Amino acid sequence: MTTDTTSPDFKSVIVPPPEGSLVLEIRKLNFFYGQHQALFGVDLPVKKNAITALIGPSGCGKSTLLRTINRIYDLYPGQRAEGEILFEGENLIGPKVDVAALRARIGMVFQKPTPFPMSIYDNVAFGVRLHSSKSKAELDELVESSLRKAALWDEVKDKLHKSGLGLSGGQQQRLCVARGIAVNPEILLLDEPASALDPISTAKLEDTLEELKSDYTIVIVTHNLQQAARLSNYTGFMFLGKMVEFGPTEELFVKPKVDKTGDYIGGRFG
Amino acid sequence: MDRALRRKLANYVFIGLCVIGTAIALGALALILWSLFSQGIGGMNPKIFTMDTPAAGSEGGLRNAIVGSILMCGVGMIIAVVVGILAGTWLAEIGGDTTYGHIVRFLNDVLLSAPSILIGLFVYELLVFKSNPLSLGHFSGWAGAISLAILATPIVTRTTEDILNLQPNALREAGMALGASQFTTIRSIIWKAAGSGLLTGGLLGFARISGETAPLLFTALGNQFYNGNLSQPMASLPVTMFNFALTPYEDLNKLAWAGALLVAVAVLGVNILGRWLAREKNAGH
Repeated sequence: MTTDTTSPDFKSVIVPPPEGSLVLEIRKLNFFYGQHQALFGVDLPVKKNAITALIGPSGCGKSTLLRTINRIYDLYPGQRAEGEILFEGENLIGPKVDVAALRARIGMVFQKPTPFPMSIYDNVAFGVRLHSSKSKAELDELVESSLRKAALWDEVKDKLHKSGLGLSGGQQQRLCVARGIAVNPEILLLDEPASALDPISTAKLEDTLEELKSDYTIVIVTHNLQQAARLSNYTGFMFLGKMVEFGPTEELFVKPKVDKTGDYIGGRFG
Repeated sequence: MDRALRRKLANYVFIGLCVIGTAIALGALALILWSLFSQGIGGMNPKIFTMDTPAAGSEGGLRNAIVGSILMCGVGMIIAVVVGILAGTWLAEIGGDTTYGHIVRFLNDVLLSAPSILIGLFVYELLVFKSNPLSLGHFSGWAGAISLAILATPIVTRTTEDILNLQPNALREAGMALGASQFTTIRSIIWKAAGSGLLTGGLLGFARISGETAPLLFTALGNQFYNGNLSQPMASLPVTMFNFALTPYEDLNKLAWAGALLVAVAVLGVNILGRWLAREKNAGH
């Protein structure tokens, strides 16, 4: 197998969402870890108020792709992207972008729960306090509504001022979701958010995401094909750093247009 | 002898050697503590805290030495904690991977194992010896505090860097992903997560300097009288112990033992207090 960019095996088949429904569009994105190229001319249209799933075998670049959208790769010298990530007419890959402001509009939840070493309340209020000065009452309200949206309120309402580290893994992950949506982002990126959770916590998290869909645009990376099929409206299948196929989830799972996609979904490799 | 038996025997011999080694180490520690308590407890009385160091044959205490030690260790620790935590944070979070960072880390490690008497000589040259614009021209508490700070700083720096490196990258990314600056992420997330480890660094530094004598001999010198002014020569417990232990007078020897016990108890007390505080914080889980 070759990783040559011009290899005909990897002609992307993209069935984009309807014209005008996109909130973000990635075009011809290349990504490099130092000398090593990890993404090759990837396209990804992201539909507004929908869930877009990225699937593919380990190392295919789906997390890398997700991490370009909020420029979190900036933390590591040597990592760089080239191409276009269009968000409201602006290319996010460029020196002029205010990264802090961007990250307030594009939130992220990570593979392992990352509660901050502070109270549940302060965890949720953390991002809000960074970007605006709200009164105590406004903040109280926002913390409550964020925790409600993340389906965590009933479990924590009596211990808001206890440490967030004392929650279970599933609760911690929903706390991270609440923390992410408290700053009211337009897009929420989730990097295998359920991989460290048990099945019951996973189901709760999926319910949460389902509910959030009406207010937010969600892009989720997952190893779990059933999860992608259950949750998402659009799915992209990636392989060896390329977008092999992208389209409405049902079509992609039932009638994939590329053999490779069918092989992966059918469990013939991966 | 068959193989199984031989292996069994070798196993017993090895475990036996480990036990003996541990016993020797613990035994020495017990003997030290025993002589410290048995000899020090006799000199313990309220006058130690109310009277200054005496001349041989007259009554006295250790008040000036206690106050001097607290002042110099206190100032030294403030400098060491501020500089050490900032330097350690720089090494762990910002510039540790650059060439300059590698040089700083190497020099810090050298400083970590530098003999304390050399630090004393250096500060003597810098702050005490006359032909130098920075110099006060005489022995002073400041010079003592600064030599103690130089001894404690590399310890705090090293522990800070090690502890911060243990914090998961995901935590940094999570902070930055909310739009926080690197400074905010470090200050309100990483330092908080590393809190008890940073405290340990401070305690290790304090334990190191609390009994240091050599660097104080050159810098603070000592003082027979009560003095709370850091720009004057200043008494300290270790130097007083050193001086009194060398005299042939029994009452001064007794005070030296009492001073030694005080230092040991202070280090123990600060350690327990620190651990207790760290525990209180973690109990909030």
